[in-house]
Amino acid sequence: MNKIKNFMQQSWLLIVSSFCFGLLIAVTSAALSPRIRQNEINKRNRMVTVLLPEAKDFILLDEQVEIQSLQGKKEKVEIYKVMSKADECVGWSFEAAGSGFADKIKLVIALDKNFEKIAGFDVLSSNETPGFGDQIKYDYFRDQFEGAPAGELRLITVGERETKDSEIVAISGATISSEAVVEIVSNSVTQIKEQMRKKGIIGNDKQ
Amino acid sequence: MTNNNAKTARYWQTLLAGLWRENPVFRLLLGMCPTLAVTAAVKPALTMGCCVIFVLLCSNIIVSLMRNLLKPHLRILMFTLTIATFVTIADLFLKAFVPRMSEMLGPYVPLIIVNCIIICRAEVCASKNGLAVSIIDALGMGVGFTLTLCVLASIREILSTGALFEIQIIRLSSQGGWFVPWAAMSMPVGAFITLGLILGLVNKVAGRKA
Repeated sequence: MNKIKNFMQQSWLLIVSSFCFGLLIAVTSAALSPRIRQNEINKRNRMVTVLLPEAKDFILLDEQVEIQSLQGKKEKVEIYKVMSKADECVGWSFEAAGSGFADKIKLVIALDKNFEKIAGFDVLSSNETPGFGDQIKYDYFRDQFEGAPAGELRLITVGERETKDSEIVAISGATISSEAVVEIVSNSVTQIKEQMRKKGIIGNDKQ
Repeated sequence: MTNNNAKTARYWQTLLAGLWRENPVFRLLLGMCPTLAVTAAVKPALTMGCCVIFVLLCSNIIVSLMRNLLKPHLRILMFTLTIATFVTIADLFLKAFVPRMSEMLGPYVPLIIVNCIIICRAEVCASKNGLAVSIIDALGMGVGFTLTLCVLASIREILSTGALFEIQIIRLSSQGGWFVPWAAMSMPVGAFITLGLILGLVNKVAGRKA
């Protein structure tokens, strides 16, 4: 009993203030999180507009699409239909994430309207080594995905960067980061494509 | 009356200490990590300075209010808890209202938690003094820190890009002017060189006065 009393005497301030501070952070976070989320959406839309220059409007798809992440977890993906000024579908975009070399890599991926070619990707957030892994943000690496077939991609160490195919040339000195990006893109694109086909949102192979 | 005068004089002294005599960067050499990391341009430096002022002010107020309740062996824990709370709040505000700056500063905003200036002021000043002195001390130190960052950042931004606040003030040689931008100044090496030279200069000036 005495022990508990002593413990409480010593630490009551810590317990009370932890609770108060926790509450304070929770309230601030709750108040600001819609705005922060909106900022993220704006940023993503800006990136997609660069990848699909005709993009004007982004419509969230009602159908639920769930994919198996690289860690084996089921994750819901929000898929956006990208519309042009003339209200025609010009492509699709979604977010995908996976673990990189240092931290999680979060990408936004855009595809053409038939889900056949990748229009490109951009990095929403990453924490790769400056000078090496962070080259995944550079055009010379990202341009390889532009026009690549929407399916399994493969990482190679030697090859031509200019040819647009399913082979992606790694960044020298940053194989793990390059591999992570290729896996994230490849994994999410193949699964989403398959599910969207099943649901009849995009055309079948026969068409 | 004399008591009042002495009080005012003390307030002034506390306020001015942070600006020059005990300037956190130049005289106490505290908070070197943000000083070196975010001074490549004036805008992020100013944002960082404002965040530090906010956190320093809030943590000094809270620590000063609970200074009589603090247990000696738990005090550092309490300081860190207080600081971490306000840094998290500052980080959320940056993300919500100035997302571009928040991205530019990256991990350096959360790293304010381990900024020595704040914990030093909590330990040296706020845990021993009343509310008024603590607030004035926080303002003095915070403004001193911000000004120092801005001085370093202006030098580096002008030398590396010929701009200040991202507004071009010197015509670059690529645009027909005479100024060749000094890219190294925006890299870590520029931070070390600028800080070192200014520290030397400050020491020389301060030494002469003493």
